[in-house]
Amino acid sequence: MAFWTILLIIHGLLAVALLGAITHQAVSVWMPVRSKAGNFVTRFRAVPSTSYVMAIIVLYVVTFVMGAWIYTQYRFTSRLALEQLRFFKTVGVFEMKEHVATIGMILLPAYWAFWRQPLSEDYAAARKNVTLLLAIIVWANFLVGHIANNARGFGS
Amino acid sequence: MMASSKLAVFTVVFGVAYAVIYVISTEVNLPLLTYHPVIGDVDFLWTPERRGPAMYWYGWMLTSLIGALALGWIASAVPEPWVQRVILFVCLAAVAYLLFYTLALFIYDKATVELEFLKSRSLSVVAALVVAAAISFFAPAKWNQRLWPGWVCVVPIGALAVLAYYLTPYFTR
Repeated sequence: MAFWTILLIIHGLLAVALLGAITHQAVSVWMPVRSKAGNFVTRFRAVPSTSYVMAIIVLYVVTFVMGAWIYTQYRFTSRLALEQLRFFKTVGVFEMKEHVATIGMILLPAYWAFWRQPLSEDYAAARKNVTLLLAIIVWANFLVGHIANNARGFGS
Repeated sequence: MMASSKLAVFTVVFGVAYAVIYVISTEVNLPLLTYHPVIGDVDFLWTPERRGPAMYWYGWMLTSLIGALALGWIASAVPEPWVQRVILFVCLAAVAYLLFYTLALFIYDKATVELEFLKSRSLSVVAALVVAAAISFFAPAKWNQRLWPGWVCVVPIGALAVLAYYLTPYFTR
């Protein structure tokens, strides 16, 4: 059980890094700063968004693979307990998490293509939209993972 | 107007095709393999659970991956307007089917006489295909010149809506 708990913690930490990177990029691409960086919020928006692309892709893939691995353990331990406790809503949102994570994964090739250098003006809108959708997906999955873990985390 | 790069066409069609095939795979249950986590066995295609639950998610993803790779490859080899036209047609048909079937069930529910035929899905499918074909045919030419990159967001969002709908029993019991 310690092995899976460590894996889950690493999965969570990677998710935090991914969350930070994608949020930074989404904010910088949707609310770019026009003047010199000033306060914290402006500096948050002023990051060079292109530099995040590969980090986001790698973090997403690694977090996804780890999540898919932990899922095998969740399926016959935590989930069975959740069902016995009649926590159907928790099971339901976790089922949704697997679908949302998959959809996020399949956006990555297009996300990478739209962010390739030199940035094409043809894909400016698509770039912004895919980045935002990916950010929403990462946030949703992060929160759902948190809820499921709080309901019946490993070792509980 | 310049054509989109082959890479962009491939990635957009890959995302769109994967989302559609994934929804079909999950709802019709078409996994390429089945994993049994308790015993650690992997079976080819769908198999029932034995000694513990069976996991189909990995199989659904593989089914979708193969289909999406094939369609993405085909799309990057055919003229771009064809790809745009096909995606437009399929999306229109999906939305039209949803509207027609919802409307048919609503009328069936409110009607004072028995209109059993309205419950038939095939009626809504045929109506949706006709409407989608008509709109696609009369669509302005500029709609079909290039592949719209926004499909890669619109179709996965639609797929998520369908997947969420099918999970509603978890939230209503």
